[in-house]
Amino acid sequence: MAKLKLPPRGEATAELTRRGFLISMTAAGAAFGFPRAGLAAMDPATPNGVPATPAGNVYEPSLWYSIDGDGKVNVNIIRAEMGQHVGTAIARILADELEVAWEDVRITHVDSAEKWGLMVTGGSWSVWQSWPIYRQAGAAGRTALIEAAAAKWGVDASECEAREGKITSGDNAITYAELVSEGISRSFTEDELKALPLKPVSDLRLVGKEVTALDIANKTTGKTIYGIDAKIDGMVYAAPLLPPTRLGSSVTNVDDSAAQSVKGYVQTLTLDDPSGTVPGWVMVIGETFMAAQRAAEKVKVTWAAGPTADVTEAQIQDHGRELIANPDVGSILDTGDTNTAPVFESAADVLEAEYTTSTVLHFQMEPLNATVFQNADGVWEIHTGNQWQSLILPTLQAALGVEADKIVMRTYMLGGGFGRRLNGDYAVPVALASKALGGKPVKMVMMRPEDVLFDSPRSASVQQLKMAFDAEGTVIGMEHHATAGWPTEVMIPGFMPKGINDEPYDPFAIAGADHWYSVGAQKVRAISNDLANATFRPGWLRSVGPGWTNFAVESFMDEAAHKLGRDPLEFRLSLFTAEGRNAGSAPNAIGGAKRQAAVVKRAAELAGWGEDLPADTGIGIATSFGQERDMPTWVACAARVKVNRETGEVTVEKLHLVTDAGIVVDPDGALAQTQGAALWGLSMALYEGTEIEAGNVRDTNLDTYTPLRMIDTPEMEVEFIDSAEVPVGLGEPATTVVAPAIGNAIYNAVGVRLRSLPMTPEKLRAALAS
Amino acid sequence: MTRFTINGKAIEVDVEEDTPLLWVIRDEIGLTGTKFGCGVGMCGACTVHVGGRATRSCVTPVSAVDGAEITTIEGLSAEGNHPVQTAWRDLKVPQCGYCQSGQIMQAAALLQDIPEPSDDDIDAVMTGNLCRCMTYSRIRDAVREAATAMKEERSNG
Amino acid sequence: MIKRIFTGGVALAALGIAGFAIYAWHPAIDPVATPPADSFAPAQIEQGRILAAAGYCATCHTAADGAPYAGNYPMKTDFGTIYSTNITPDRDTGIGAWSEEAFERAMREGLDRSGAHLFPALPFDHFTKMSDEDISALYAYIMSSVPAVAQEHRDNDLPFPLDQRFLQAGWKMLFFDEGRYEPDPAKSDEWNRGAYLVEGVTHCGACHTPRNALGAEETDEMYAGAAIDDWIAPPLTAANPSGVAWTSSAFFDYLKTGSSRYHGGASGPMAPVVHAGLRELPDSDLHAIAVYLGDMVGAPEEDPATNPAVIKSLEAGIPRQDYRADQGERLYATACASCHYNSQQIAAGRPDLGINSAMRLDDPTNLIHVMLEGVKADQGMEGVVMPAFGSTMSDEQIAAIAAYLRSTRTDKAPWADLEQKVADIRALGAAAH
Repeated sequence: MAKLKLPPRGEATAELTRRGFLISMTAAGAAFGFPRAGLAAMDPATPNGVPATPAGNVYEPSLWYSIDGDGKVNVNIIRAEMGQHVGTAIARILADELEVAWEDVRITHVDSAEKWGLMVTGGSWSVWQSWPIYRQAGAAGRTALIEAAAAKWGVDASECEAREGKITSGDNAITYAELVSEGISRSFTEDELKALPLKPVSDLRLVGKEVTALDIANKTTGKTIYGIDAKIDGMVYAAPLLPPTRLGSSVTNVDDSAAQSVKGYVQTLTLDDPSGTVPGWVMVIGETFMAAQRAAEKVKVTWAAGPTADVTEAQIQDHGRELIANPDVGSILDTGDTNTAPVFESAADVLEAEYTTSTVLHFQMEPLNATVFQNADGVWEIHTGNQWQSLILPTLQAALGVEADKIVMRTYMLGGGFGRRLNGDYAVPVALASKALGGKPVKMVMMRPEDVLFDSPRSASVQQLKMAFDAEGTVIGMEHHATAGWPTEVMIPGFMPKGINDEPYDPFAIAGADHWYSVGAQKVRAISNDLANATFRPGWLRSVGPGWTNFAVESFMDEAAHKLGRDPLEFRLSLFTAEGRNAGSAPNAIGGAKRQAAVVKRAAELAGWGEDLPADTGIGIATSFGQERDMPTWVACAARVKVNRETGEVTVEKLHLVTDAGIVVDPDGALAQTQGAALWGLSMALYEGTEIEAGNVRDTNLDTYTPLRMIDTPEMEVEFIDSAEVPVGLGEPATTVVAPAIGNAIYNAVGVRLRSLPMTPEKLRAALAS
Repeated sequence: MTRFTINGKAIEVDVEEDTPLLWVIRDEIGLTGTKFGCGVGMCGACTVHVGGRATRSCVTPVSAVDGAEITTIEGLSAEGNHPVQTAWRDLKVPQCGYCQSGQIMQAAALLQDIPEPSDDDIDAVMTGNLCRCMTYSRIRDAVREAATAMKEERSNG
Repeated sequence: MIKRIFTGGVALAALGIAGFAIYAWHPAIDPVATPPADSFAPAQIEQGRILAAAGYCATCHTAADGAPYAGNYPMKTDFGTIYSTNITPDRDTGIGAWSEEAFERAMREGLDRSGAHLFPALPFDHFTKMSDEDISALYAYIMSSVPAVAQEHRDNDLPFPLDQRFLQAGWKMLFFDEGRYEPDPAKSDEWNRGAYLVEGVTHCGACHTPRNALGAEETDEMYAGAAIDDWIAPPLTAANPSGVAWTSSAFFDYLKTGSSRYHGGASGPMAPVVHAGLRELPDSDLHAIAVYLGDMVGAPEEDPATNPAVIKSLEAGIPRQDYRADQGERLYATACASCHYNSQQIAAGRPDLGINSAMRLDDPTNLIHVMLEGVKADQGMEGVVMPAFGSTMSDEQIAAIAAYLRSTRTDKAPWADLEQKVADIRALGAAAH
């Protein structure tokens, strides 16, 4: 994952490119070499998920795709499909460069295998990482076909033109299908690949245009196959009984006598987990889903609870404040001049504020599930939807006690990811149950309360921000201290980079605090909340840290502007000087803060910033760079709200969103992703939030957990800046700007500042009253 | 023994009578287009038609549908071309798609009762269907488009 | 469906025991050979079949999962449980040895073949009003068409002295008027036909008329509504609280289909009355019943669209942005509105919760039952179901929705102790399983 001390994209790309071409040459004809693939759901456009069998000869210019004798192109996708139509976005990059008609393109979401390298879908990286690879791969295929045609006709390759699966030169014309049928085996060296000509952006025919996403049709007829739909002959069902704490609990007694009378009850398993993923789990096995559920209601388990059984959200937050108060803890990020102490000492004025956010649930629509068995070849098959196969496979190996070549994850569509399925821990108890039953197929579908209790929620956070001003009111320094549970620390600590004080930090839990405003000396300190980490598994949730860091930064920027008596838009623009480290750099961040200034200016303009508004109505603005400085997606929101002073209800009347994501590969998908991300932001700003109570989240279903629904959906105006820059991510950035925009709008409407998410009517009423 | 028809086929199932209809449809009959979301009738992913009316199958005991006619997403139209489905594809509504069977079944029932729905009508009827990808704007537009298509169908028919 | 107990026995202490014994004694009627099926005319049998349905005899004379008419259906009462009798033509355990005379005596006088008094769980106070022809037809149907099933009668679970059948004679003396229906010459034939059916075979008053301390119908409060089987049978008079007054046409729709656009569906004990019973009657008879009942309510046929209760309910249903403020409103918006919301007008099949009697009775029992238990395909509007939220919502949540609807959709006083009431009704359901 990019910023996770993985190689930056240049290197990652080179690795994927090399892998793609090298492996294709050693594994000729293996593009469809997955036994029993029909059990999974690899082609989202076919009713049974089974990819079409290639016709006739197959030419495989790269691991990433093949062309068959009918001219059909199959594109291999290593990303998980969870609503972003990622296969379509990637395939069209390739098809554009290869010059084939969209109708001839198929996609295959591949199973986990070593040859695919790192398999992860998150961080809004998919398109960004795939862009150069699939373009190059497409160009290679096009070049090979043109060369073959040119040789056939005895003309120079430069006299041939490829278009829509056909090559022409003068009166000569031949289709890709014909060329492949005649046989092509051209391969490329790495140097040749680098030298391949790519189409100029202005010649792109599919990128940036409307095409029909390949996964959509089946999603309107019920034919799409998700993990929950996995079906293996002879499978039994498991209903989990969860221990009182996420970690540290152990089973002291299991009494299944009452379950014996349940028809279809098989047995109860106390899991023995060498991987340490699901300590204290008990799985009740039934012949049917309902049998397992009914029996589970009757099995009595007693546990010795882990040490976090009484932990509350307030304790976690108070612990966070203690951590911040201790100057010796945490990791200091490299933000240039970090020596803020003397600046604050000499400052004419200082502004300080604390911001908090509550625990948030993923509540993805498809409850966690997995189906596991050992196949006839002795390989353990994990059937589930997952965003980060490469992360959980080693854990599954540890759980099953097998080597990497004895385990494979089959691909299914995801009924929502949002980061929950980056953590594949839910497959572990099922693997253990199957192992205990000698490899028998076991399917687990978690009921919603269990799914929620086993969530990897977005951690609660505490952040304290300080800004120093000189006598003229110029910003001369800023500090941002943030603490929360750290997903990367608990999930994959080796991926954490180190700060300038040599302490590791979770980039996902602090990104956003290292913003593009030029504020003089700047210190960003990231602190892991160990009590949170011990109590639950902090998760990555759509946009992760910027979901809270940017709430603080952008609320604080407004507070600073108001303190100085300056217009919040003008104040921001004055700090976007795009100098020094904020000037931006090629290839991903060309233009730097100037591009961020442009989006916030545009959003304010669209919203009618500065115009008179009715009573108790306000417009608030906020901006961010998405998630990572290395891959900034410039985004801004202007939210118009109306506040009911009596009830404290906030009505969001309209959201204006402006995004600069470089080239927009899939305009419709980009719009959908931005709308969805913005509404997630709104949902977490006003409606979503739970608390840790007695070591677990308090709200476990929709009767008390109340995400945004149709009626809460405001009018949205979404605009993309025309750009020829590198395409960057779109799945999450808009999430980061909505909450602060709303908070700022509330302030502009009624003059009170809410510094805690979610901004509930109770909090607003209390603020109005004080 | 409970008997009913599903997508026009007669079915007889022998399960405990408080078994939720959802699991009978998914596990006993094997139609998996109908989804499990919350299990408490508050997300709408499990919506099917019973007697032509949108019904949350996760909180409907199978004994309740004895003698009834059930339609699932697989049977809403033979070719998957119910005007609501067509509108859903035209406007590219689905993202992850998991809730969309329920959304479509709910929308089809809405348009049957309220052929020309206002924004309030759509809000009131569709608010019970959760979409975590937050495709709400497009759902709203697609309901309107389907309403228009159905109106034209009626005036031509 | 009758399950209420009629235990008049205790009133009899004041009576002279000896004289009473003579009064109470009735002779047995000799057993006869079971008449062969072909001894009855097909038309008569068919008429009997319809009447048996209209009187929903099978509902009380069939146990759960038991053979039709073989009895042992438990009727729970405050005093104990009475089990219905086997009325199949089985000679030993049923009524196969009963002559038509014995049958008619049972229907008209509440005596079994041996002369013993029947408990008025059998509504002979209504059946006595039936014509000879109709009673003969019923006899013909049972003897010819109901399969004989040997099933012994379970002993009633009644304490002494309530189990003493002869004491029922005293109850009869006090409360029972034997005699056929007398037409009212001032009314139309249709009205009289309806009255004949309602007072007689369909015995509507058995549930809808309040009973006195001794379990007899209060003749001065006819059809004023009563508690029955842990439900409320609403008044069938002007006192009915429905937002839109019941009219003949509404009654007809309801009795024919189990629902009427501006009223709740036939749920609970009323469901089989419609679905297993009344709708077997020809439309002319249903019309006649509807005319009689409509006259009893006395409301004019008006356009419900302009009814203030309808307008209020529709307005209250308009979704509100701050629906989250009240738990009941939020839950309603997520779990209920998709089916119950109505737009400009109330659509058939979208029961509007502001106007039906369940929402407007002084007692929330019926509403709570439906929320907890749902409505099955053979209840209410046929083939349509309502989910059962009892398995997924807490007492507090059910109560919150009920309170929200009551306060926003009606101008009635709030229901007291709602949450406890939900718990009580939930416990009844659990006990029944």
